[in-house]
Parts: sequence; C-alpha cells; structure tokens
Amino acid sequence: MFNYIVRRLLYSVPILIGVIALTFTLDNVMMTPDAKASRVLGPKASGTARVEWIHNRGLDRPIPVQFVRYVKDLVTFNFGTTWVTGRELREVFLEGIGPSLFITVPGFFAALLASLGLALFQVFVRSSPLDRLLTLGSVALMSVPTMVYVIFAQAVLALNLRYFPAYGFAYEPGMIRFLALPVVIFILINVGYDARLYRAIFLEEVGHDYVRTAHAKGVGSSRVLAVHVFKNGLIALITLVVAHLPKLVLGSLLIESLFGIPGLGSVLVQAIQTGDQPVVMVSVFLGSVLYLLSLIVTDICYALADPRIRLS
Amino acid sequence: MFLPSARVAIFSLLTLLLAGCDNDPNPEPYRKTRPDGSPWRVRYMGLPADPKSLDPQFAYTTIDQQIIEPVYDKLLEYHPMKADPVELQPAMLEAIPKKEVHPDGKVSYRCRLKRGIFYHDDRCFPGGKGREVVAADVHYVLQRLADPKVESPFFAPLEQKVIGLREAREVGIAKTGTFDYATPVSGFEAIDTHTFRIHLNGPYPQLLYWMAMNTLSPVAREAVEYYDGKMHDGEVRPKFRFYAVGHGPFRMREYTPRRAIRYERVEGYHTNVFPSDGFPPEKAEWLKQFAGKALPLFDELHILIVQETIPGFVLGRQGYLDSITANKDAFAAIVTSDRQLTPKYKARGMGLELVGLPGTFFISFNMQDPIVGKNAKLRKAISCAYDARDYVQIFYSGVAPVSNQLVPRGLFGYDPHYVNPNGYDLEKAKRLLAEAGYPGGRDAKTGEQLVLTVEEPVAGTEERQRAEFEQRLFEALGIKIKVNENTFARVIERLEQGNFQIGSGTGWAADYPDPENFFMLFYSKNFPREGANYSRYSRPEFDRAYEQMATMEDGPERLALIQQMNAMLAEDCPAIFQFDKATYIAPQPWALWTHNHPMIEYSYNKYHQVDPVLRVKLRREWNHQPMWPLVILGGIVLAGLGYAVRWNLRSHV
Repeated sequence: MFNYIVRRLLYSVPILIGVIALTFTLDNVMMTPDAKASRVLGPKASGTARVEWIHNRGLDRPIPVQFVRYVKDLVTFNFGTTWVTGRELREVFLEGIGPSLFITVPGFFAALLASLGLALFQVFVRSSPLDRLLTLGSVALMSVPTMVYVIFAQAVLALNLRYFPAYGFAYEPGMIRFLALPVVIFILINVGYDARLYRAIFLEEVGHDYVRTAHAKGVGSSRVLAVHVFKNGLIALITLVVAHLPKLVLGSLLIESLFGIPGLGSVLVQAIQTGDQPVVMVSVFLGSVLYLLSLIVTDICYALADPRIRLS
Repeated sequence: MFLPSARVAIFSLLTLLLAGCDNDPNPEPYRKTRPDGSPWRVRYMGLPADPKSLDPQFAYTTIDQQIIEPVYDKLLEYHPMKADPVELQPAMLEAIPKKEVHPDGKVSYRCRLKRGIFYHDDRCFPGGKGREVVAADVHYVLQRLADPKVESPFFAPLEQKVIGLREAREVGIAKTGTFDYATPVSGFEAIDTHTFRIHLNGPYPQLLYWMAMNTLSPVAREAVEYYDGKMHDGEVRPKFRFYAVGHGPFRMREYTPRRAIRYERVEGYHTNVFPSDGFPPEKAEWLKQFAGKALPLFDELHILIVQETIPGFVLGRQGYLDSITANKDAFAAIVTSDRQLTPKYKARGMGLELVGLPGTFFISFNMQDPIVGKNAKLRKAISCAYDARDYVQIFYSGVAPVSNQLVPRGLFGYDPHYVNPNGYDLEKAKRLLAEAGYPGGRDAKTGEQLVLTVEEPVAGTEERQRAEFEQRLFEALGIKIKVNENTFARVIERLEQGNFQIGSGTGWAADYPDPENFFMLFYSKNFPREGANYSRYSRPEFDRAYEQMATMEDGPERLALIQQMNAMLAEDCPAIFQFDKATYIAPQPWALWTHNHPMIEYSYNKYHQVDPVLRVKLRREWNHQPMWPLVILGGIVLAGLGYAVRWNLRSHV
C-alpha cells in the first residue's frame, strides 16, 4: 500500500502543475497588470501609483519569471499577502478555516445522517405513497436553488419569526444561534440529492440473496435494514462521502457570504468581488491539493472496507 | 418511555435550540452603565466591506475613511451642521490656517496644533502612556507620503503642490532604495513644538480641504515602527496598516476581519465640543440640548461588516443596526413614491434622511475618435437623445438627482438655474443628427447606417439592463449602437488607452468640496494615465479658465469663470451628464440624526447620539417570537412517525 500511495502522490504532481499553469494563464489572459492595479487601487489611482503598485508586486517582470516565482511560492507554501488588504494569506486562510468547519462539519454529518436515515426509511416504506411523497420531496430539495433557501430562511425564520440572527458570527457559548440557519440550509441542499442516491444503493442491496436468507432465518425487517443492508451499502457510499471532504475545508461560498460567516467561502467571494488575485489562486491551488488527497484517501478507505480490493 | 441517555440528549438539544432563539447578532456591550450610573450608550452601524487599511496615509476608500474616522482626528474638519455650503472648522488645529503669500508667488500656511491632544495609551509608547501630538508628527506624515513603501495614493496630487515632497522621495530612496526618514521635506517648517508652516509652490486653497482628510492626520512614529508585523519576543505584532493608534474620540479595541470593529470612547477627549451654531431650523430646538456638550455623545461604537444588502435590511428592521439604508432591496419597503417614509416605518418612529453625496456620473465621448470626436453636432444629438430622468427613475428609484452640469449639488459653482442646451429633447436630437450629416441615422453621402460603439461596465443582470436601456435611447435616433460589455477595470483600461468611442459608467466622487476637483476632469494636462480626462478634451480657453479658477478663493469672479467653463462644455459636449449621487437613510427612533453632511456621509460619529432605554424597549417589542410554527412542525414530525410505525406493523421487508 505504501508504494501505491507514493505512486499516487507522484501522479498528483503533474496534475497540480497543470492546475497552476491553467490558473496562471487564465489570470494573465483575463486581466493586464494595469487593470489589476486599477481594480485594487480604484479608478482614481494615478498612473504613477499604479506603476509603483505593479512594480512592487513584480507584475512588470517577464511572464516566465513570474510563473517560476509563482510556482516556487506555492510549493513552498509561501503564499504572500493579499493584494487588497496586504494581510498575510496564511493568516487569512487559518482564520477562515474555523468558521467554515463550524458550518460544514456539523452540516455534513447531519446531512449524512439525515439522508441515510431518510433513504433507509424510504426503503422501509418502499413503494408506499409516503415513499413516493418523500421521493418527490427529495427531488424538490435537489431542485431548489440555494439562494431560495437563504431568502426563505432570512425572510421567514430570521425576519418574521425572529428565531435566529439573520447575519453574523462569534466565538461564544451561544454561537449555535449563528450556526443554526446556515447548517440547516447546508443540510437541505445536500439531503435531497444524497437521500435519492443512498435509497438507490440500499434498494439494490435489498434485492440481494443475503437479505432473503436473513428474513428466512427470522430476522426482523428493521434489523435486516439497519444492520445487514446498511453495512453492505456503506462500502458504495465511501467514495461519495470522502469526495465531499475538500468542500468541508473550503466552505460554502453562498451560505457563508449571505449569513456573514467569516469562513473560507466568504474569503473567496470577497476576493472575486475585489479582484484579489492571490487569494483566488491560492484557493484554487488548495482546493486541488485537497481534492487529490481525498481521492487517495478514498482508495485507501475502499481497501480497508472491502477485503476483495488490493492496492497495488 | 425514553431511556435516561435519550432524555439527556433531548434536554441538551432543547437547551441549544433555546440558546439559538436569541436573534441579536451583536455582542454584549463592554459595560452596562457609565461611572455616573446612567446607561452605557452604544451605536450600531453596518458597513459593506472590510477596510483596505487603517493607515491614514494610505486609506482612500470611503469605507476605510469611515472606519478610521472615530480613531484619528484631522487637522481641520467640516462643520457638521453646515452642509450647503460646506464650511471648515478647526479640529486639531487652533484655528483655520492663514495664507501667507510670498513675493515669488509661493504660498505658505501657518498652522498651530491645539495643546493637550494626546495619542491614545498604547504599548508602543514608553510606559504605555500616549504622548502629546506635536508638529514633528505632521512632518513625519509628509515623509510617509513620500515613502514609496507606504504606497500612498495621495502622494501624486500633493507632490505637485507641497514644496520638496517629490525631492524628498528622490533623495530619500537614492542610497538604499528604501526611504530614509532622516530626509526632510523642505516644504515643512517647524516653528515650535506645536506650530509649523507648510510651503506650497503657488496658490492652492484646496490644501485646507486636504487638512480635513485623513491623509494629513498626524500619526506617531513610535506606533508605525512598533507595529511592523514581525515577531518580537515570541509574539507577532500586527502591522500598522491594521492597527490604529490615534488621537480621536474613540479607541479601536477590536477588529475581527469580515465580522466587526468595536470602539470605546476615550475619556477626557476635548479636541472639540458639540457645536452651538449652524443648526438646521427643523432640528434647532432639539439640537439645543447638545450645544457645547463634551464629545463623543455615546460610549461605544460597534460596526458590523454586512457584505450583503438583504441581511443589512433585516438587521435594521429588527433594530440591531441604528439605521437602514434604502438600497434597491429595501427602497420600496421604506420610501413611498412621493419620497416619504412609508406609514409602517413612520409608525415605528424612524426618520428619513436624504444624503446627497458630492459625486456625479456622466458618459464620456472620445474627442480623438475620428467619428464622434470630430463632430460636435453628432455628440450633441446623442446627448439630447439621452433621457437621464427616465434612467434615474428606473435604476435609482428616482432618488439620485438628475444632473445637467459637471459640479454636483452642494458645492460652490453648482448653478440650480443652469439649463444645459444638450438636455433630453428627442426632436432636437434628430435635427442635430441631420445637421451632423446623418439624417435618420444614416450617412448623408453613403446612405449607410451610422454604427457607434459604447463601452459598458457589466458585472451582472442590472448592468446589462442599464446597457440595453442606453442602447435603446441612442438607437431611437436611427443609428446602430454596438455595446461592448466588459468589467469595470477593463472599461477604464480602454478609456485610458483612448480605445473607445463612447464610454459609459464614468464619473467622479469629490475628494474635497471644490469645483476644481471636478473641472480637472476636462483639463488637457490631465489626459490618462496621470489624470482622468478620459474624453481627452482639449481647449486652450478652457485650460486657461481652469488654471485661473483652480487657485482662486470662492467669490463672484470664480463663479463667473465656472459659468464660462460650463458654457464651453455645453458647446463642445465632451460628455453627457447623467445624475448626482444620493441615497436615503432611515435612522431608528433612538438614533435620530443630529446632522446630515455631504462630505462626511453618515459618519462623524462623535456628533451622533443614541437613547439606549428607548432602544431596549423597542427591540423587545419588535422581536417577539411566536410559538405556533414550532407546534405545527412538531405535529407534522409526529404524524410522519406515527404513519411509519403503522406501515411497519402492516408490511414486510
């Protein structure tokens, strides 16, 4: 397995270089250094101020020189500073991880539990009107845009019913009041899709011989579902679940921005709005690294969960 | 029956949910009461973004300026009650500086700092005790402007005026490339510890306005050097760019990026008191109670960073912000069609303030373009086809005043009786187009339809709608308009390169309330990249009038020159004037505004007041939480569970 991991890590290197080259090229094609300076310094900045700004950031050097320096900085995790505020990027990202995880980790696990529970429940009452109603509900949950959930939550739960704050975040004992709405929305936008998928997986498992055997041996239907079907279905779920992990760290762009959660998602949205190129590019880089790592972890989990799979 | 562990879990969940039922996003104030037992007064503001910097010599956005304004006082400030016309009053200086004209045409301003103004206590000072602000701090400010590392956007405009500023930069970086702070700025002369002169190359009355900006706010060298962002004794100190050590009415106690900024009043602040004159008649009786009072009027300021407009409106409606801005999302709820507060908000006791901002928008013609640049009648025809009133009605709910001249309302030089001959008149536009050689929008010689390109900054649906609206207006002439959509930065880039015919989205917000700050936009020496004369308008008579007007004091002669310049702009039509900036703000009943000033928007916190008792009472009334939705939700869940149990009993897997 060790050799396999090393090989996969080495395979990741050209992919990462490709991502870096692509983002660097796109950035240079989309905006000239002068347009970048104008966007960061504002339209009133004088030509001298812009030339100075461009020079201070090395954007007047030849493109290959800029690219080499850019790659060197990324691989050494020397992210530098943001263009707009001049803060250390490392500091900005470390600050953002906490609030993002406060939304995504409970949201992810709650959505996982809810969709697993819902899927098992639907299998339990399969082919009944309630099953069809829940399937319809899942499709509806999948189809509603995130923005609609946010508007509903803010208009109904925050503004009219006044159960939760509409905006804000604080590290304090009562911080759940800030997290409740974003987490619920995070669950809602994931649960419909996941429940449909898990239901399909469990339904496939229900048709296998071992289920009939279990029933023949007198095992109750609840136990068959909760123990046998659930356990065997889990193997198929590993890929889906682990692939979500990068999203947990990088946060949710829309939810964080609209609820004032100062996580990495809102950092990225703000950076896109203000033209803060280093933030955007480092976010893409970190996202790629996390995604590649999650793929490797998925393979390892597969091998651990299913003895028939050998990593070689 | 529930198992004990299940009971504990349910109890915990309920407790958490109850904790979640408090919908106030603001933290507990620093204190409950003042030392005299009266309630602690907190003001809650919302701002849409983080500051780019807290360094007064760098901070250039309106948001930056609003955030540092409570911490750093200025040498001069605008009288908060005198808005039309605006008037300066001393702040850190004892008096408005007197101009001294020298025989060689150079000009000096003699300034004297008030004694007894101290920096806030901070560990950057010996013993943690803030020292007195002295004249040398102003010299240090000028040096910082000259230091390229500070990247001050104010260096470019001031280096042309303040003697020795440019030379200081050249000499200061000559040896090592890093600015040497031993290099003096020769335009600064210290007379004693509190008195100094600033020497200028020639007349520049606008320097007084610069003194009312944070650009020249004194900073302590100790603070800049101490807060270097580096590790010292195992601790990383913040950068001065994000750590404010000022001398204003408030000390910044907390800044959490993307969340909030909190300030607490500085005891013993005495740089200014509440004014006793200039009260607007409609508020005079009410304002008398504050006259001569020590500042600030409240104890704590809390700025919540709300990036999105809808949550800002929700928080305002719940009383968690002290005012609601009537932006696009909130306008219909707050303001009626006849520009009054809607009955619902009136009943709440809220106020309504129209904040006119000294800025204007216009569409620029490229005067060097072979088609529009060489044909004044064509430009006038296009201008006459532009219905600014309709545009403002659709896209700004009719709030922004339609503009017909370069100088916005509230500034010296604005003429309320001026009639621009290039205003909206479609019949006249068609006539002018025919005279320009394009009857019915077609070239009189070739018969081909005239095709023009408009550069439009488009970042979303609304901007696209604006672009389509403008296209429709111009195409009413029978010409074809090609819209070139781009990001704002790209549009500005094309305008700067002169690579355009008609450029939309151009405008100017006043740096200071002087007509010179606007007419410079058509001065021929301000072609891009150094200046913002995107039209590349060049007319020697205009330049001469501008140069004369720029250095004059306000008065009839200056006004006459401005009128001449307006006439020249109307004759040549290098731009289509659109509208001035304005917005409605609805303050809460406990925070009705003491002042409304165009140059300080809704800032100048030290003059604002709040009534904390009324706030508590109204917040409680406005945030009652009904229980019936929870009962219904619980019923639905129970019904679902009941159904599942029944189904389970009847069926097999």
